[in-house]
Amino acid sequence: MREICIPLANFGEDEIAEVTLTVGHRKINYSFRIESFPWDLEGTQLKEYDDDSCHASIEQIMNLRKALATYEKSWELVQIFTPCKGATHIQVLYRKRN
Amino acid sequence: MNNNGFMLKTNELIKVFRTEEVETTALNKVNLEVKDGEFVAIMGPSGCGKSTLLNIIGLLDNPTSGEFFFNGIEVSKFKEKQRTNLRKSNIGFVFQSFNLIDELTVYENVELPLLYMNVPSTERKKKVEVVLERMNISHRKKHFPQQLSGGQQQRVAIARAVVANPKLILADEPTGNLDSANGEEVMGLLTELNNEGTTIIIVTHSPSDAEKTHRIVQLFDGHIVTENQKKIL
Repeated sequence: MREICIPLANFGEDEIAEVTLTVGHRKINYSFRIESFPWDLEGTQLKEYDDDSCHASIEQIMNLRKALATYEKSWELVQIFTPCKGATHIQVLYRKRN
Repeated sequence: MNNNGFMLKTNELIKVFRTEEVETTALNKVNLEVKDGEFVAIMGPSGCGKSTLLNIIGLLDNPTSGEFFFNGIEVSKFKEKQRTNLRKSNIGFVFQSFNLIDELTVYENVELPLLYMNVPSTERKKKVEVVLERMNISHRKKHFPQQLSGGQQQRVAIARAVVANPKLILADEPTGNLDSANGEEVMGLLTELNNEGTTIIIVTHSPSDAEKTHRIVQLFDGHIVTENQKKIL
């Protein structure tokens, strides 16, 4: 066994989950955060290209890149989750750096 | 060939898969540079283009457009035969499902890349023995893959990948089918090879495996969205 999955009920978009893992006599503290970045194109210049999926996709990626690049450096990116179709936000899992 | 310190470099790499009805852009203007001796992890959700990128880097496939420099040579328009020649002497592959040939023994599986390279018999024997010893699997050299545990099979796969002394090792989810201890051992072996100078690129879903590399490249929807440099080479 290499990983443990922990279901988190009602986990808020900007909440921090702190996990303490005890292995034998060793305690390890982790802090995780799920961040939500805008994924719709509301308010962007490319709103008019809504029917153009290629332009829209590139705009979404540019926005995501910008959000990831300017995020707090004390947090380390772990995983980007695939948004559902029509989702307004994309969720990203971060872990606090030690 | 002068590669300016870069084992590989891609410039605006695009890969489009077309069927009669659908066109899928698997890679969209990917710019990636990997230095000699670097250990890089490629991460991202399923379907984001990780394996497509690894296949192009591994000279198993050509991009639709863009440039790809391998060791200083522009190879994006190479024909299959040119790619094969370059690949067999420079690149070793490790796969999640090991991809060993069930009908061949451990020894024969490891010997195979050297046969393709027409290495003389005595030299072949010596190289295979050395690498099996190193991977701590020589006591199983007469066994067939199905007689081995997952961890042992992956050690054989790594032996096969490194026996020809490649400059680059590409590993697609190398610990994906292994338990914790064997996964750690495989990552340990890859780290050891990297410490000796082999450039390594792994595709992984495991944050703990990625943690052991120098740099994590996050792919999303065929784009590189972020690169996290962890260790200075």
